[in-house]
Amino acid sequence: MQRKSKALFAGIFVLLFVAFSHALYAQGATNLKFNEILLNNESNFMDEYGQRSSWLEIVNSSYSKVNIGGCYLTDDQKNPKKYWIPNNSQETVISPRGFIVFFADGKPSRGIFHLNFHLEAGKSIYLYDANGRTLVDQVTLPDVLAPDLVYYRQSIDSDQWATSAQSTPRSDNDHSHKASAGERFVEHDPIGVGMVIVAMSVVFSALAILFLFYLLVGRKFKAKKKAKSAAGEHKQAPEEHLSGEVNAAIAMALHLHFAEQHDFENTVLTIKKVARPYSPWSSKIYTLRKHPRQ
Amino acid sequence: METSFLDFIIEHLGQFLQFTAFANLTVGHLIMIAVGLGFIYLAIAKEFEPMLLIPIGFGILVGNIAFSPGFKIGIYESGSVLNYLYFGVAQGVYPPLIFLGIGAMTDFSALISNPKLILIGAAAQFGIFGAYCIALALGFSPTEAGAIGIIGGADGPTAIFISSKLAPDLMGAIAISAYSYMALVPVIQPPIMRLLTTKKERVIRMKPPRAVSKKEKLIFAISGMLLTTFIVPSGLPLLGMLFFGNLLKESGVTKRLADTAKGPMIDIVTILLGLTVGASTQATTFLTIKSVGIFLLGAFSFVIATTAGVLFVKLINLFLKDGNKINPLIGNSGVSAVPDSARVSQVVGLEYDKTNYLLMHAMGPNVAGVIGSAIAAGILLSFLM
Repeated sequence: MQRKSKALFAGIFVLLFVAFSHALYAQGATNLKFNEILLNNESNFMDEYGQRSSWLEIVNSSYSKVNIGGCYLTDDQKNPKKYWIPNNSQETVISPRGFIVFFADGKPSRGIFHLNFHLEAGKSIYLYDANGRTLVDQVTLPDVLAPDLVYYRQSIDSDQWATSAQSTPRSDNDHSHKASAGERFVEHDPIGVGMVIVAMSVVFSALAILFLFYLLVGRKFKAKKKAKSAAGEHKQAPEEHLSGEVNAAIAMALHLHFAEQHDFENTVLTIKKVARPYSPWSSKIYTLRKHPRQ
Repeated sequence: METSFLDFIIEHLGQFLQFTAFANLTVGHLIMIAVGLGFIYLAIAKEFEPMLLIPIGFGILVGNIAFSPGFKIGIYESGSVLNYLYFGVAQGVYPPLIFLGIGAMTDFSALISNPKLILIGAAAQFGIFGAYCIALALGFSPTEAGAIGIIGGADGPTAIFISSKLAPDLMGAIAISAYSYMALVPVIQPPIMRLLTTKKERVIRMKPPRAVSKKEKLIFAISGMLLTTFIVPSGLPLLGMLFFGNLLKESGVTKRLADTAKGPMIDIVTILLGLTVGASTQATTFLTIKSVGIFLLGAFSFVIATTAGVLFVKLINLFLKDGNKINPLIGNSGVSAVPDSARVSQVVGLEYDKTNYLLMHAMGPNVAGVIGSAIAAGILLSFLM
């Protein structure tokens, strides 16, 4: 029996380890993706020094904060640690579904968002995890990209890329007006009948599954009980059995009684030990003025 | 020219008077204070949900002291103490904690012993979606309609949770409406129950529920969470906490945790929730035509939910043999006002047969209603958010 329990515990531990290691992996830098790149910046987005240079945007596709600090950016796969993103700044923390922009101006002395390399057409850029070995994301730039055209991911969760004249640094690439889920729902179902049918079907299905499950479980338990009593294992004194109605009546009477006694519940007779914890704050000795000693 | 000390005092006294609530008082504040006093009166004199109406009623008084803005006093002023306490409401933190306590204090035996009662809890959710349709027709936005509809679930924490996500601006009105109608369950439901049932149906005697083993209760707590949240993951905060609380109770080995969840913790959260929800009804933001609409829709949703529950039992009875029939007076308990609506079933049942105790039977659909309204809330979130 003990061996069985140990095996069960070990099994649970292994399952938990696998699940958690996957969860930790999923919530880290692996959710970062290249999102938008501008190669040839003539009249586009400027950095904090008022300079125009090529830039790249990274998105956090997860629904929790991710710190990109400690990761590496490079344009050379043989040198994955080409640019180390400093990890001691709050500025590198990307909010859920948020964005961060790096300027590829080859001037890292200008700040943590200035890379030590330039972007070149046709080359790939890579984002490596903090260990410098795990490739998080990579993108190959088009061979030709006209000035001020951006190469962008069509949506955060898509792997499709396209070019556009409309750049959207530090924001979603899709600027079209998006109706909310509720608005879209009402467009198709203006009077709500669809909602009633679908939602009630889901509620009924969920509770019907519970119903069927407990029906089966209940039958199994009833059958087991019957089998036990048939085998004479189950000894029940019939005179001690109280029906549900009697229990309900007792419960109701008690409830009404205690509800009326609401403000006097301290007078309830109990066999439980009543704790009277000592506290100097409630002690009479400390609250009374003592006579001065002579 | 130097001002005299007297002028200085008079000037500052004038300023002080301008800061008093008397100077800032409006008719709206007076109306809300009267409402708050009404809640306190109902709680103390009529004993309508005192645990909720006293904190909410006093909260209404607190929220309607007409202060000068800018001094970090009001509940909507960031940095004020009330604003910090309100965080738990605005971000939907308190409702799942209340569900934890409800789970730890609820005995699901009635439901487990007679699983078909679960379906009554589903039928009563028509109140939510009926009110949603009416709210849409009245011109409320889809998210607002969803938040208003949830009043029909008769579940205060769920109503607050959903409105904080779907329509934060209407949360005060929705919460007050939900709790008011929950307190008025003994007034709203009996006439509908009498109207929809015959004298013969009201005296139907149901089989006493069988004793449920500890193992069955444990299976219920775990499988209930898994089965419901696999279908509606957006209901996880409420359903997860509900079944977790129940597991603490039924496991028998975590008595201290269960006692804390159903005792001091739920009391603390109830105090904070009630007070801050009450205080969120500042006259300036609360007294609007929309609030009036919400109150009317809240009443409708309760009526629809009760009607659907009772009629559904009558429908089930068409397929059940004599001796297995369900008393339709427990149909009202499908709304999740626990245990008030079950108590209403009991009281109305006793009016027609002094020896027919329906309380235990009514507790089945009542707790199923809690699960059903949490599932319905999850559906609203997934469709509208």
